[in-house]
Amino acid sequence: MTTMTPKERVKGFFNREPIDRMPCFSGMGTVTIQAIEKMGIRFAQVHGSAEYLAGSAITTAEMFGFDGVVVPYDMCTVPEALGRGASLYEDADGILYPTVPSKWANLDEVDMPEDLSSIFGQGRMPVVDEAIGIVKAHENGKLAVGGWVLGPFTMGGQLIELDVLLKGLRKDKERVEAFLTKMTDLVIAVAQHYQKLGVDFMNIREMGSGTDLLSPRMWKTLIKPNLERVFDALDSPKINHICGGTDLIIEMMNDCGADAVSVDQKNNVVETRKKLGNDAMILGNFDPYGTLVQMDASDVGAVIKKCIDDGVDAVWPGCDIWPDVKMENMEAYIQAVREYGKAATSAVGRL
Amino acid sequence: MARRLRPPWEGFRRNTMGKEELRKELLKTLHEGVVEFEEDQVREAAQRVLDEGLNAYDAVMNGLAAGMQEVGDLYDQQEYFVPELLMAADALYIGLDILKPHITLADLGDSPKGQVVIGTVQGDVHDIGKNIIKMMFDVAGFTVHDLGRDVPLEKFVEEQLRTDSEIVALSAMMTTTMMGMEKVIKMIKDKNPDVAIMLGGAPVTSDTADLFGADGYAESAGNAVQEAIKMIGRLREMQAK
Repeated sequence: MTTMTPKERVKGFFNREPIDRMPCFSGMGTVTIQAIEKMGIRFAQVHGSAEYLAGSAITTAEMFGFDGVVVPYDMCTVPEALGRGASLYEDADGILYPTVPSKWANLDEVDMPEDLSSIFGQGRMPVVDEAIGIVKAHENGKLAVGGWVLGPFTMGGQLIELDVLLKGLRKDKERVEAFLTKMTDLVIAVAQHYQKLGVDFMNIREMGSGTDLLSPRMWKTLIKPNLERVFDALDSPKINHICGGTDLIIEMMNDCGADAVSVDQKNNVVETRKKLGNDAMILGNFDPYGTLVQMDASDVGAVIKKCIDDGVDAVWPGCDIWPDVKMENMEAYIQAVREYGKAATSAVGRL
Repeated sequence: MARRLRPPWEGFRRNTMGKEELRKELLKTLHEGVVEFEEDQVREAAQRVLDEGLNAYDAVMNGLAAGMQEVGDLYDQQEYFVPELLMAADALYIGLDILKPHITLADLGDSPKGQVVIGTVQGDVHDIGKNIIKMMFDVAGFTVHDLGRDVPLEKFVEEQLRTDSEIVALSAMMTTTMMGMEKVIKMIKDKNPDVAIMLGGAPVTSDTADLFGADGYAESAGNAVQEAIKMIGRLREMQAK
């Protein structure tokens, strides 16, 4: 059997060409504490250094055998570049992801630059660019490098108080729509920027728009048109990821123009496969915290096998991997993807 | 559409209305005002409850809270989603702010309901679930010490000691911040083992709550909302007995 390099495997996967086995990768953070400790640094130090970002991503991939890497890990780089700051929690014990400390309090405060490319020189945006360059160059580009940007609504929730946004969807619809249009332009600008830097796939994470928060009707009128515009502006491969409740909107998600949909453990993938058909590319859908942090390692294989049996084309965690994973659970996860991912899936054949 | 209060020119009819009839009408107006997010309607009706000398606690529990219970049912049926819950909560608070200062100790069974310290833990800036739970405590007559969001862990301990609150309610919307809860619980229980600790938030499960030594939990943001609303329902039932 021909053996592919990790990048060939991921690229072949998205091109729907026959590949040697299911790639093991994610469109969200996969950094682990084991890699960070091996580097002799702390999680809080990672976010502001291109070397640490790239190093921790590569170390994790090589330690466990991932086919791809994703940087950055936090969701504050764009808000920070727009002047909203970033709390990195450098003094806190343990692992805390950065958060945005000063969101715009209301729609009147929104202040976006006319030239969106001006943000690429702000905050930690250059650090991320440099990190992408480092991981791309690692061992002659052995690993697939993923890029990700929050979707327009979720990006909006990082920049303005979420309750203002949510209530505004009904109370102040016109202005919220105009704000979401601006967010769509922003998402396109950032995602295109990463595509120009040469990422191998682009994941748009519209995480906050599942039906835990919004009605399917609201999703159709306020989320879908913006996602369609995003995917229309991007090159393939591009993925539409939403966590939380997606069963009621999965067909609309699949109609947004992405090459694949990614869902979390709340999605009924058996039903999703039936609804979307065999040609649809589905990624998902295990609970990363429950599976990799809490569970006994001996139970992990069954979780991964179920994802594949249910009909995913590649096993993706439903969200970022929580860095403080159990070593043996990570190993069981990667091992199970290799073992159960030998056969062709609905959308992707095997060599 | 919700039924609006009768316009002032119908005042004569209104004045001839019996006290019980007026009470029922105002409770219904408050209830519908919450369900339909009609803040002006709730404000007007809450003020009339006071002007007419009706019982403020009755208006909160059987008007505003009853409305919120219907909102919870509509959420269960997936007719309402989070935007609608937030708007209903805004309408409820309009009424609660007017009525709460007029609730007496006798209404609450001759003893204050107690105090609760609430907040989302450090690293977490999501506070919608926390605010809904806070509303439940407010409605039930508790004194709520809201620390807000992204709260350093020691602050929960300090505030509990400062206020001598019986309950500390912690919320984490993200797995990544949940581990902070365990530390807070330990710090508080070390100093005061009698404090009841409630956990809530999307990543918290009953196993996690047990593991961390908490006394209660709400399974997810959605469930936290449902549970909170059901608690309001149970309080109303208890009050009716």
